[in-house]
Amino acid sequence: MSYFLTHIRVVAALVVRETSTRFGSKPGGYIWALLDPAAHIAFLSLIFMAIARTPALGHSFPLFFATGYIGFQFYQAAVGYLNTAVTSNRALLSYPNVAPFDTILARYILQLGTTIVVGFCVFSVIGLSLRSPLTIQWHFIIEAAFAASLLALGSAFANNILFQKFPLYEKFYGIVTRPLFLVSGIFFLPDALPHPARDIVMLNPLVHVVMLFRKGFYPEYRAIGYDAGYLYGFALSLLLGGMFLFTSSRKVLRGR
Amino acid sequence: MIRLERATKLVRMKGISKPIIDDVSFVIPRGKSVGLLGRNGAGKSTLLQIIAGTLELDKGRVIRQGKISWPLGFAGSFQGNLSGEQNVRFVARIYGVDTEELVAYVADFAELGAFYKAPVRTYSSGMKARLAFGVSMGVKFDYYLVDEITAVGDTNFKRKSQQVFKERLKGSDVIMVSHSSSTLRDYCESGIVLEDGKLTYYENLEDAIVVHERNMTRQ
Repeated sequence: MSYFLTHIRVVAALVVRETSTRFGSKPGGYIWALLDPAAHIAFLSLIFMAIARTPALGHSFPLFFATGYIGFQFYQAAVGYLNTAVTSNRALLSYPNVAPFDTILARYILQLGTTIVVGFCVFSVIGLSLRSPLTIQWHFIIEAAFAASLLALGSAFANNILFQKFPLYEKFYGIVTRPLFLVSGIFFLPDALPHPARDIVMLNPLVHVVMLFRKGFYPEYRAIGYDAGYLYGFALSLLLGGMFLFTSSRKVLRGR
Repeated sequence: MIRLERATKLVRMKGISKPIIDDVSFVIPRGKSVGLLGRNGAGKSTLLQIIAGTLELDKGRVIRQGKISWPLGFAGSFQGNLSGEQNVRFVARIYGVDTEELVAYVADFAELGAFYKAPVRTYSSGMKARLAFGVSMGVKFDYYLVDEITAVGDTNFKRKSQQVFKERLKGSDVIMVSHSSSTLRDYCESGIVLEDGKLTYYENLEDAIVVHERNMTRQ
């Protein structure tokens, strides 16, 4: 029991520590964690409104992009931040009661909270600017955020080890995952793609996350091809594999 | 009490693995402050980390009774982009002591002035050591693990820290690594010599120092 309480204390202390340094060197500090994605969505909406006349779904460009972008962020923002959780807290790991796992948990909590706040802000603004009110189905949104979290945690557990063991892998990982933003169904609906392309795109579990997230905002969206079995099978395998690697590599984590 | 049971720890360097401790069973009793002696590279700091629990044994186990500090060293265990004060708050939170009390105690003790609120990476090594010493003295432990830290700062600061440390040691023990026999004599009654992966306990520190010095001349 006291072991459990210690870890709660440690994780809470780490959350405070991460919040104070995340954007510590820039004026405005933590506000940037909120402004950055909001600005990104606004910018992309502007560009695409100039190119095309109607979005693939509904009538609002900002809503279409925001639903894709925020759904994707539940994975992308988390994984980018979590991948370096252990190395960025190396000095603090010399306290015996700070476990490497705590650093990941703390960053996960902070990033999840941040993405939720960003989501609330962005969708409130978009909702107010629409002519008809948003119809929100919370269970799809929460489930999508949950599935994205499983994927992010699984990758992060593995990457915290692999980045340190194989520096080349880190480069490789960066190159391979960079286009994820383009192929995860943020700009397009995978349902509308022609046959062979659609099957390939659907192999990306994030496509399913984004589809599920969009279902929460567009009641008329049928999400053809969404496969819960595939998504959770992928996410749980990744999580188990990552946790196995993480717990069996304690020497790498403490930096010896 | 700290007990090592059939403990083995290997360090690997360039493909060669060398045992720091080799199948050692050992008890460090409560109520005795001990100095840890051994030649350079024998693994004294590694042993402290094993006792603290930040390093894992390859074989065997460590049983710890009582509250054990982190290994207090020159460099400190500070996050460079946090201020000294933020680092102190962090320690207070993870050890569950009163945050404001510890912040005030260390501010008073470490004498960092305006630097207390500046990032630790801007500190000189002396300032870091003062902060490290201050924060560790502000938290009560049953065992203090000390890795060459006691002699920092000017004469005045040295006297003050010696006083505080001795006060602490009335209720707590220390396991200390130092290359200076006189520092060890100041704080410790007993000694442990680490040589060739074996630990030998000497009730009387002087005996340990004699053995250690003989080891050193033996090359």
